[in-house]
Amino acid sequence: MTSALPSYTAVGTRLRSFARIHGLGAVVVGAVALFTLVPVAFLIFSSFNVAAPGEPTAYGLENWRVAFDDDRILDSIWMTLRLVFARLAIAVTAGILFAWLLARTDMPGGSTLEFLFWIAFFTPALPLTVGWILLMDPENGLINTLLASLPFAAPKFDIFSFWGIVWVHLTATSIPVAVILFTPAFRQMSATLEESARMCGATALTTLRRITVPILIPAILPATAIMFIRSLEAFEIELLLGSPVGIFVYSTRIYDLIDEVPPSFGTATALGTLFLFAVLVLAVLYALCIRGRRFTTVGGQGFSTERVRLGRWRWPAFALCALYLFCSFGLGLIFLVLSSFMRRFGFFDIAEPFTLDHWREMLADPVLLSSLVNSLVLGTATALVGVVLFSLIAYVVVRSQLTGRGFVDLMAWLPWAIPGVLMGLALVWLYFATPLRTILYGTLAGLVVAMVIKELPVAVQLLKAGFLRIGHELEEAARVCGAGWPVTYWKILLPLVSPVLITVAVLSFQAAVRDIASVVFLYDNDSRPLSILMLEYSFSGELERGAAAGILLVAMIAVMAFIARRLGYRAGTTS
Amino acid sequence: MEQAGSPFLKLDRIGKRFGDLAAVSDLSLSIEEGEIFTLLGPSGCGKSTTLRMIAGLEYPDAGAVSLRGETIVDAEEGRFAPPEARNMGMVFQSYAVWPHMTVFDNIAFPLRLRRRRRSEVRDRVLETLALVGLAESAEDYPWQLSGGMQQRVALARAIVYQPDILLLDEPLSNLDAKLREQMRVELKELQRKLGTTFLFVTHDQAEAMVLSTRIAVLNRGRVEQVGTPSDVYERPATPFSRDFLGQSVLFPGRMENRGGELWIQLDLGARLRLPCDGSALRGGERVTMACRAEGIRIRPGDTAVDGEIPAVVEDVIYAGERMEYAVRAGERRLALRCFDDRRFAPGARVNLGIGGRGVTVWTDD
Repeated sequence: MTSALPSYTAVGTRLRSFARIHGLGAVVVGAVALFTLVPVAFLIFSSFNVAAPGEPTAYGLENWRVAFDDDRILDSIWMTLRLVFARLAIAVTAGILFAWLLARTDMPGGSTLEFLFWIAFFTPALPLTVGWILLMDPENGLINTLLASLPFAAPKFDIFSFWGIVWVHLTATSIPVAVILFTPAFRQMSATLEESARMCGATALTTLRRITVPILIPAILPATAIMFIRSLEAFEIELLLGSPVGIFVYSTRIYDLIDEVPPSFGTATALGTLFLFAVLVLAVLYALCIRGRRFTTVGGQGFSTERVRLGRWRWPAFALCALYLFCSFGLGLIFLVLSSFMRRFGFFDIAEPFTLDHWREMLADPVLLSSLVNSLVLGTATALVGVVLFSLIAYVVVRSQLTGRGFVDLMAWLPWAIPGVLMGLALVWLYFATPLRTILYGTLAGLVVAMVIKELPVAVQLLKAGFLRIGHELEEAARVCGAGWPVTYWKILLPLVSPVLITVAVLSFQAAVRDIASVVFLYDNDSRPLSILMLEYSFSGELERGAAAGILLVAMIAVMAFIARRLGYRAGTTS
Repeated sequence: MEQAGSPFLKLDRIGKRFGDLAAVSDLSLSIEEGEIFTLLGPSGCGKSTTLRMIAGLEYPDAGAVSLRGETIVDAEEGRFAPPEARNMGMVFQSYAVWPHMTVFDNIAFPLRLRRRRRSEVRDRVLETLALVGLAESAEDYPWQLSGGMQQRVALARAIVYQPDILLLDEPLSNLDAKLREQMRVELKELQRKLGTTFLFVTHDQAEAMVLSTRIAVLNRGRVEQVGTPSDVYERPATPFSRDFLGQSVLFPGRMENRGGELWIQLDLGARLRLPCDGSALRGGERVTMACRAEGIRIRPGDTAVDGEIPAVVEDVIYAGERMEYAVRAGERRLALRCFDDRRFAPGARVNLGIGGRGVTVWTDD
């Protein structure tokens, strides 16, 4: 034999390499459990711990008693639900309308508008919130100043209110999410179903209401359930707009309890655990409801993509979408940029209203620079660690024969349902309880762990789909011609899923850079990321500085999206 | 390295279950060096599973496999050499050409794994590309190639490192009919040049006949018969092999012993001397005689001579290279094939003469 490979007498050592693959499976199972089950378990146990994190554990029911006695706790849960229902009702309605216009009608500029909805989806909420404060602050918001100068008594818009919070959510988060979740379902529906209704004499809108929406209910309902569960995660908008006027949702209440002197960790944890149960029950119900079926595709015989003709309503429809998009991120961003160049925002009649001082000061400020560096490190590290870990988990779930891989799949999905504030709280307990405390608590490493956990569920789903698209035989061909498992993984599988890997890396980077809720309990002065710095500026009323930090944040995310598009095109042409 | 007397590749009572389904059970085969050995059977007969167990892509639940006398799998002892340690080559049904590499890189991959020198890699790849007729396409990406060309890339990748044995899993089934026939010939030619042992899996009996040195007919995870193409066609060992290969016409009847000579009295009326080996028969048994559809002579005329069966042509199908007739004999309707120039119209009276190669007699139990 001329082969350089080991002869069959080496079967013994090869058997061990086979065992190594199973060892890898065990490592992956362990890692997933460590990243998902352990923090949750810690949160639940810690709610019965009446001592502070890091101190000797003392078990008791005190936390729960306090939590249920305290009106503020139940009030915050009630407020959470009211806010979520208010904005979901509006967002789902608007989302259906926009998705239908984008996918099913001949509205002009459809693909551009859809792209802008994606941008709205990716724009972080905090900078937009600051933009809205600049516009609708009851004292000196630009719109209110203009309204006050009118000759008659006009009503004021107060952004620091229930409907103010709903409004910012609608522009910054809820509606873009709804549009992005609904549009594919509308696109998959065969036009013949609508056409037959039109033939019977229904108008376009009647058809939408009586035919299209009912048919798509099986797709809209799960998407709405996803939005509901994800909405419970909201934190920074409520913190910035609600806390100053006494509107607390559960996540800002937890933050508030921990911000007290001394911090009420126990009560916060009891509240968090209560909420965690609620969210997990919802998530499990959701999983049971959609089990065994994907979003229903309505297709079948005679699939047609003919679009509804809007006639003279074409341009009004376009105007409606454009107006929404302008409000959703255009307006906020414009005034964010403007304010960062103004001595005092809204005061155009003072001497030299425009200045570069904020930028000059900011860029000379070591805190900002170190935050910027921290964010870049955090984003890059999350992306790199994430890509390695997520792809291994997805591979084990999709391709291994490992017993318990179904369990891995379920565990990998768990963090999806856990709001960021609760994950942060769980990690505080976890970090304090381990000898790794000095390495993880208050350090960038600790933040990276939090973000990796947060990004794990969606990334693993994406990569699972990526691996499933690769035929078994491509992998087997490499094995038979002499490649061991690690070489096959590195040279064949990873290159074949590289477009998905790039997507996952970019999403992880963006999430890590923009996240506030998951890391708000975990940073300290040396590891403060830019998003937190912006929150601090905004919270302490330095809105112009906050605006400048927000612009940097948006710029970072935009640059990343641009790079991803370029890389995506290249990878796309070779597969 | 080679032990005297042991076959090149030996499968010893291997078995594989998928849940309740026994895909392969108690299967033993011996394959000699340098032959083209074919596993032939209908889909679901376990032939691909067997091939994949040989390659190391499935773990047998029972039995052992040895190559050149060395055990590569032994289910009882828990020995298992992973696929990359077996030095085998494999061509997959879907070709499995890696889409992110050029043709050159695809074929160079196994050589680079073996850390061959750059110049040697280049020489070997170009040489192999020329061998499979793809010299022009080295820098192309797989999606720029037709299915037939991808097939050749897969083939080149599997032989470039001179594996001990080449495994081919229905490699021609995705090609169109014309190309498939051409590739059969090319594969056979290639094997003659390389001298490598080929183990071929197919459900296409014509392919198996043309290509193989020996064929193993598989059914429901078991071996029905092993033999040369003419063995399995002309002397099928089981009713399954008889009916799977070619088209048989069955005539029930009874054996008669007439002064030491075996005759058969067919239920359709004719009586004839047994035209095949009947050493296991004594006379008096109920039997079924099987003829190949193309082995039955059709003679026009009203009167049947000795041993002939009178029949009426009912239906005629023109199939290009042959004619297919449906004839009625007594209560039975028989499907026949005729490769000569004679033509019979529907309603014509004919006489059927039994003979030709591949006549067999089966006792009814």
